[in-house]
Amino acid sequence: MRAIDFLLIILQIFLVLGLSPLIVGVIRRVKAHLQCRHGATVLQPYSDLAKLFRKEPVISTTASWIFPATPYILFSSTLAASLLVPTIIAPMPLNFAGNIIALVYLLALGTFFLMLAGLDAGSAFGGMGSSREAIVASLTEPALILSLFAVALTAGSANISAIVYKTAILQGIVLDPPPHLMALVALFIITLAETGRVPVDNPATHLELTMIHEAMILEYSGRYLALVEWAAGMKLMIFLSLLANIFAPWGIATTLSPSALGLGLLVFVGKVVGLAVVIGVFECMFAKLRLFRVTELLGAAFVLSLLALVFFYILRV
Amino acid sequence: MPTLPINIGSYLVNLCSALLLLTCFAIVAQRRLMACVDLFALQSVFLAVTATLVAYLTGIHHIYLAAVLTIAIKAIILPRILKKIVRQLNVQREVSMYVNIPTGLLICGGLVILAFFITQPIVHLGFLLTQDSLAIALAIVLIGFFIMVSRLKAVTQVIGFLMIENGLFLAATAAAYGMPLIVELGIFFDVLVAGLIVGIYTHQIQEAFGSVDTSRMKALKE
Repeated sequence: MRAIDFLLIILQIFLVLGLSPLIVGVIRRVKAHLQCRHGATVLQPYSDLAKLFRKEPVISTTASWIFPATPYILFSSTLAASLLVPTIIAPMPLNFAGNIIALVYLLALGTFFLMLAGLDAGSAFGGMGSSREAIVASLTEPALILSLFAVALTAGSANISAIVYKTAILQGIVLDPPPHLMALVALFIITLAETGRVPVDNPATHLELTMIHEAMILEYSGRYLALVEWAAGMKLMIFLSLLANIFAPWGIATTLSPSALGLGLLVFVGKVVGLAVVIGVFECMFAKLRLFRVTELLGAAFVLSLLALVFFYILRV
Repeated sequence: MPTLPINIGSYLVNLCSALLLLTCFAIVAQRRLMACVDLFALQSVFLAVTATLVAYLTGIHHIYLAAVLTIAIKAIILPRILKKIVRQLNVQREVSMYVNIPTGLLICGGLVILAFFITQPIVHLGFLLTQDSLAIALAIVLIGFFIMVSRLKAVTQVIGFLMIENGLFLAATAAAYGMPLIVELGIFFDVLVAGLIVGIYTHQIQEAFGSVDTSRMKALKE
């Protein structure tokens, strides 16, 4: 491996770690603005994280090793997953390390441990949150895999870097409108569900009856909470990068020249912040669905991603 | 004459057809009648955009007229009539259906796959510009049929009927670059009249049964 590859990997780590709290802040700011509130600055999540890292964590006496280990597992698996997703340059240096399946299951590993931790702390809310998260996760996973595979089929590779590279090089000619549009809508619904956004979960609530993600992490405090929150932000960023770069890879760097990288960085930040604004607006437009209605939304995502795949198989082969 | 290269044109036409199919799924997943009407209006707008694109790219002018009529009748007049009916009937949402929404979505997925299978042998023979539109049009027709048989309220059944009409229009545009103008005018007039008649009938059903639930009409005896 060349030195430049190490530099790119380090750049990617700093970009994901540094930018993810900003995305969370932008969404909150947009929501506050639309709800006619003042709202905190977009930099507030950074201060929250800094404050939480200084606080002492409290651990329930009934908790086993899973409870303190989960934040580290969640944080590291999410960070590892983020290294597989192209952000500013298309062939990622670590693209040999994993494809779509590795990405999906690295994320699922973190979700799995978070569910265990919710049960482990011994509070009733944690268990309820875990069981709800299990419903949502089991419904999103097939839809996520299928929608990514629908795109992979057109590009002829299951490697995310290769998909993005091909689409970027061919200026969208690889894009195949009907199946990709279905996959895009499916992936957007999945993004909302996986990152605990409004029609499925409400990230701002602490009302026991409705919360999913917040219920699981209710017992966390101090640096553990900071790691979990940061990992949630990174997961959001991974999904937004997937949406932006798989379906609209315009402007992403395909060579190592500094000007291409600079342009890639600018375009990437623009696209991700734009998507964050879209999600913020979306959260204000829609009410949270009842838990049993969530299956309808995720069922639609599943059917759309399945159709995207079938469309390719029947009409494109 | 068209200035867009044919592959970009085909790209845009396919994109719009796919949007039509997506609105179909949104209608299947939607319970609120007002939202169904809005989604139908949106679908008609996409249909008009598709027709305009085809008209522009092929230089066949009478499709423009069909697109304008689509906007006027299916995106403005009929949704207004339907919304008026919904307001007067005071039914906001469809509470019971023959199949629940997740099952309905899966059935529609199956119908779309069926439509793709049926059209697969002929899709390659069609015009390059509208290759995918024919498959999608058939899928829309089938989903329209499904909505007509699976929903109980008269208003949603009308929307299903109008969706079938949208699918047929798309099929005509895709397979033959539009029907002769006189046929299209006749169809638009028919659809408009059908919308009016159905509006009146819905009132009659409401007055006779106290509900627009068409399953109650099974109780009719000679």
